Amino acid sequence: MQDNNDNPPAGVTPEQATKMLDAWTEVLKLPTIGPMYAFSKDFASYADEFARLGKIMAEMKGHLDVYWGLVSTAYAKAAKDTAEKSPKQFATKEDFDGYRKAIIESFEDAFTGLFASAEFSSVYGKVFSSQMDMSKAMQTITEKNFKALNLPTRSEVDEILKDMHELKRAVRDLKKGMEALMNDAARV
Amino acid sequence: MTQQEFKPEKSEQPASPVENKEKKPAEGLARDLEENYRKLEKTRSVLHTAGKVEVGQTPHEILAETRAYRLLHYQPLAGKTARTPILTVYALINKSYVLDLQPDKSWIRSLLQQGFDVYLIDWKDPTSVDKYVSFDDYVNSYIDDCVDMVLKKNKVDKLTLHGYCMGASMSIMYTALHQEKVRNLAVIAPVIDTERDSTVIGNMAKNMDVMKMRDTVGNLPPEQLYACYSALKPFKQGVAKYFNLVQNIDNESFVGNFLRIEKWLYDTPQIAGETFRQWIADIYQKNLLAKNEFMLGDLVVDLSKITVPLLNLVADEDHLVSPDCSTPLNDMVSSQDKRLMRFHTGHVGLIASSYSQNNVLPKVGQWLKARSD
Repeated sequence: MQDNNDNPPAGVTPEQATKMLDAWTEVLKLPTIGPMYAFSKDFASYADEFARLGKIMAEMKGHLDVYWGLVSTAYAKAAKDTAEKSPKQFATKEDFDGYRKAIIESFEDAFTGLFASAEFSSVYGKVFSSQMDMSKAMQTITEKNFKALNLPTRSEVDEILKDMHELKRAVRDLKKGMEALMNDAARV
Repeated sequence: MTQQEFKPEKSEQPASPVENKEKKPAEGLARDLEENYRKLEKTRSVLHTAGKVEVGQTPHEILAETRAYRLLHYQPLAGKTARTPILTVYALINKSYVLDLQPDKSWIRSLLQQGFDVYLIDWKDPTSVDKYVSFDDYVNSYIDDCVDMVLKKNKVDKLTLHGYCMGASMSIMYTALHQEKVRNLAVIAPVIDTERDSTVIGNMAKNMDVMKMRDTVGNLPPEQLYACYSALKPFKQGVAKYFNLVQNIDNESFVGNFLRIEKWLYDTPQIAGETFRQWIADIYQKNLLAKNEFMLGDLVVDLSKITVPLLNLVADEDHLVSPDCSTPLNDMVSSQDKRLMRFHTGHVGLIASSYSQNNVLPKVGQWLKARSD
């Protein structure tokens, strides 16, 4: 929805959110000596991660605003085109069929145009990237708890997967190499 | 995706203008409304009682099964006319039964009826442990193993490699590296020169940070693929197909076809994270396959090394792989015997439609027969 020009925009801008979260991060850097040291270290680390998550969410909101703005514009264009292409009266089956066709054609043109545009590609990439950042931040927070419970983390499992995959490849290459050698030997 | 390519054998036509003039408009509208209501009710009933939708019915045996694939060998449906077996490589998107959707629209069945010995690689769904599985594994391990098994079973030293969509690109990669085992290369809608791709999918792929995706969520989730599909002809296909279903609900053949395609459209497995990263970052964003710089492990895929006979099938109305993205292949290979066939249909219509049965497959069969022992 369009804000009235006389009023400030509703909500917090990503820049404002970032500034505020940065300020909190600084505040949370408690003294690194004394009995509160261990607690403050853990707490600051969690607080940092939550502050990072907040920043990512603020960024994502900005990208989503642009994304939905583009969708709204395409929708408005499609609705306008539909109105222009629609039959002027609705008295017969053909009139209704014509209306249906007008809706489908107008919306198809408007949205296909949107999805094929460079602007959409760019904002889609940003939204996608923000989603991944958000998942990653949440995973990082969760992994801290896994460590506290002495459970293997996702990153550790991932390392094992990578090693296993490299081993599989090495075995494959060895097998193929041996087969080739045996074939050569058989020929000789 | 391409539901509209499946037109009913006989779709219902609106009443002629002469008949309409004889009716009073209000009476006609009331009757139409009643008829539409009946069809809507029937649609609801049909969809709720559809039960199991049969696909992939052509008889076959499973020659081999691993965690990654099943190698299917189809039973012959006619006297063998060609000694060279055909190994079909399906894509990693959705399921391979689209090549054997229903008996009268089956790509596989048609090849069998033309006397070919047909095998199919039916990829299994990757799980989270397959995050690092890459094209190197698909091409140099899985396809290579299947090729060896088919050659051994048929006691021949070469076969015809036949790929569709992403499977076509993988068949091309394989041929560039293991040409000694390939007699013919027959590809359908291959992704090659992505700089010339003008599809919505190509556009969406341009700015995707797929490395971040692989490292964060692992494999590509099906939901992300649905998001891409829904951006392809969103209203002409995404919405209009359901209107068409209601309109043609009395046409049994149309409804059967609709349900099979609908089942296939939403039968979407994950795609292994590293494979998807290579697909988007290396092939779509950097166009490495067309630049002969695409790497499979330590090996460079150089398309100019391909010298075997090539058949490249392209759909002029393909909105998933632009024809301009597929056609450069013929200029990039070194084969003397190469043929480009273009058809006036779409990506799925090319392989699973009445059009394909009548116009595409006879020509494919003819080309293959002339190049198979």
